[in-house]
Amino acid sequence: MKKIDKSSTNSSSLLLNKTSRRDFFKKAAVYSASAVAASSLLSPVKLSAEEKDDKFITEEQPWATSLGYELNKNPYGVPSPYEHNVVRRTTPLLSSAGDMHAAISVTPLQDLKGIITPNGLFFTRTHNGVARIDPNKHRLMIHGMVKNPIVLTMEDIKKYPSESVIHFLECPSNGAAEWKTPQFDSLQFVKGMMSCTEWTGVRLKTILEDVGVDPKALWMLAEGGDGSSMSRTIPVEKAMDDAMIVYAMNGEALREEQGYPVRLLLPGWEANLSVKWLKRLEFGDKPWYCKEETSKYTTLLPTGKAIQHFYPLEVNSIITSPCPEKPWTDLKKGDIVEIEGLAWSGKGTITHVDISFDGGKNWVEAKLKGLVLPKAWTRFSYIYKYEGKELLLESRATDDSGDTQPTINQEKKIMGVEGVYHRNSINTWYIKANGEVHNAQMRS
Amino acid sequence: MLKCVHKTISVGVATLVLTSISAFGAFDGKKDAVDGGMIYPRKNGVYTVYRYNDQNISHFNYGRKPTANELKAWDTDIRPDGVGLPKGKGTVARGDELFEEQCAVCHGDFGAGGLGYPTLTGGDRASLTNQRTPGKTDAPKRTIGTYWPKASTLLWYIHDAMPYSHPKSLSWDDTYAITAYLLATNEIQLDGKDMDDDTVLSNENFLKIKMPNADGFIPNIDGPNGVKNVKAFLSDGKNIGAVGVRCMKDCKDDGAKLVVVKDPRTDVNPPFAEARDLPKKPKDTSVKPGQEEYEKSCAVCHGNDKMGAPEVGNKEAWAKVMKKGIDKVLATAIKGTGAMPPRGGSSYSDDKLKQIIEYMYSKSK
Ligand code: HEC
Ligand code: HEC
Repeated sequence: MKKIDKSSTNSSSLLLNKTSRRDFFKKAAVYSASAVAASSLLSPVKLSAEEKDDKFITEEQPWATSLGYELNKNPYGVPSPYEHNVVRRTTPLLSSAGDMHAAISVTPLQDLKGIITPNGLFFTRTHNGVARIDPNKHRLMIHGMVKNPIVLTMEDIKKYPSESVIHFLECPSNGAAEWKTPQFDSLQFVKGMMSCTEWTGVRLKTILEDVGVDPKALWMLAEGGDGSSMSRTIPVEKAMDDAMIVYAMNGEALREEQGYPVRLLLPGWEANLSVKWLKRLEFGDKPWYCKEETSKYTTLLPTGKAIQHFYPLEVNSIITSPCPEKPWTDLKKGDIVEIEGLAWSGKGTITHVDISFDGGKNWVEAKLKGLVLPKAWTRFSYIYKYEGKELLLESRATDDSGDTQPTINQEKKIMGVEGVYHRNSINTWYIKANGEVHNAQMRS
Repeated sequence: MLKCVHKTISVGVATLVLTSISAFGAFDGKKDAVDGGMIYPRKNGVYTVYRYNDQNISHFNYGRKPTANELKAWDTDIRPDGVGLPKGKGTVARGDELFEEQCAVCHGDFGAGGLGYPTLTGGDRASLTNQRTPGKTDAPKRTIGTYWPKASTLLWYIHDAMPYSHPKSLSWDDTYAITAYLLATNEIQLDGKDMDDDTVLSNENFLKIKMPNADGFIPNIDGPNGVKNVKAFLSDGKNIGAVGVRCMKDCKDDGAKLVVVKDPRTDVNPPFAEARDLPKKPKDTSVKPGQEEYEKSCAVCHGNDKMGAPEVGNKEAWAKVMKKGIDKVLATAIKGTGAMPPRGGSSYSDDKLKQIIEYMYSKSK
């Protein structure tokens, strides 16, 4: 057996360190809290004082001495039951009267890997419950200031040449509960109103070139087929840029919560604008003033004026490991650990992410990793030697449009604290000396 | 065979990675999108890191032309300039009745809120400058009267989306009446005059409503320069708080202090948990007869006791209801009672309703 050198920092031991962490959580529950804090634990393979060897290695386990279940038990596969805690969560605060027809469920970012959100974990906001639409009866009508108005069936839509793109969708109220003060001690609730998926569909422009949009048309109304007929006004310019009509996510049909059988996709923009259950696009020379662009999704400023038609989700980032759900309580001084996170910008592509350990005074540049795509989640990474000291851990992203995430104070000075939407200031994790991670803010 | 598939996959990934590295950070983008962000060229089959089919083909000619009746059926939006205003009329008094019957159960008497659902009435426009900074507890009040810029939004939205559990059930006359009522309770003027019980709102005088906060929004999206104004506005970071600076050393953030979350919220569902273990007991996920319909049409009111509906799961409440015997209960459910609309606002058959009620009762024993 390979012996592991405690002080080694080469990559293979880092890997071991990571894989054994999960095991450790199981064990940690057995140990008393003081035992965890004590430094008698051997790293990276952690054995208790009584335990000479890891019995999960020295003894055969039931799954190795019995026949597994039949491979066709789940014609549609499901996650291991051991992953049952990895689910979307809701809270009455983010709903009308606790009514789960008009509410939001948030994605467990703390448990996601890479940049793709599994379809069953995609965050969901609905305004009149989740519509269940018979795809055979669904129609998309395109009309108004166009030469050739059309009605398309789902089959028609799927005949157009398809494209697949990876984009995040984010609710502009992501983090809205925390304009004034931190409220949740959870990554899932601090930033979970977003997800990122490979979408497949047809570029809207391809259809519109057939339809022939009147050059005098400035706006497009997009209307959903749900009970609320959720609708929004969109500039034709966006419809002709990267807008898409999508019917698939991550290789399969859209989930009902995400607009089955078809939705609009406006990359980088308030997710609410990517109208779900899309049934109608109307072109016109004036904006429509829908409920979701007047009463809601407008950003009230301290002047008493509100910003309307505030489309893009500005550059943003969050550290996903560590986080309140995945603390550093298993680390001890000298351990090497990867700090990981997500950065994204609705205005373009992430170019830099910086990390601060002291609440924003000094910064070091993190590495980007994996695919770096426009208007998509981008992973960043920084390998750090843990010192067992208090930290104020922050990340700060910059995009190719030149925007850098503001501090809370910079953002507050212009936006105030009552705007609800579009909060993208720097987030702080307060790491205690014992490795616990708590949600915090640096603000005056 | 397997091997072969494997090979193509790995080639695909390699290409993707290569393109992304060669184009990284640039993609030849220009900061010229309507949202103030980047616009990336599509050229020669390449869009940023993506390849696409650039065969020059258009005129797919899929689908068909909508008929006049189809357009009429779906083109029901209403614009502030009056385009799309349907014929109809109703009085404030009639709206008052309808609101009490169909809306107050969620939005409170007069739409004044208090039940967790959106507040529709009240507040003061001056409150819009309120900021709940430390020591200040008064929130800005965003209601129809203080905030909504256009009356057309209200008429259109109520017709399409309310009442919540059976949207699109109101006639246009009734929608005008309820709109009139909500405008009146918000002290909004019609044709320069306060609205009273007898005021009739109709498609004829609708454009004479003056919304108090009509000029409360920026940028100006109306007129031929509407989109240009949005683009100019969003392109200036000072307008939208996009004022971050990439400082690396000794950065100043005057007065910033650490605020750590205090009494964090724990009312989340399902409760926070990160353990990798087996669920306590496997959930019974089979769907019972009537369950789907219950969840779709009845749970909105019967899932809680906020509006006085017998709550599903409440043994006592349901024992009391069922004492009358299923036939009587069914008859009441068909007719409606109090805040319970006829058939719960649905169009289920008597048999289906009975099945749903039996399901509700079975969950409340
Ligand atoms: C079962 C509860 C319920 C009933 C009954 C109901 N509503 Fe609503 N109403 C809601 C919910 C929930 C919303 C918010 C929907 C969303 O999230 O977009 C809402 C939103 C609204 C809004 C927009 C509020 C805002 O500030 O944006 C208006 C106006 C409204 N309702 C009017 C009515 C009228 C008029 C009726 C009666 C005909 C009615 N409602 C009946 C639950 C209800
Ligand atoms: C808009 C809210 C609402 C909806 C939707 C609704 N109910 Fe009710 N329901 C109520 C209220 C409120 C009561 C209590 C009425 C009272 O006693 O004044 C009630 C009472 C009842 C009762 C008891 C009647 C009795 O004899 O005391 C039954 C049974 C019932 N509802 C069935 C249903 C079914 C089935 C549906 C769905 C098809 C449904 N309800 C949908 C609000 C609602």
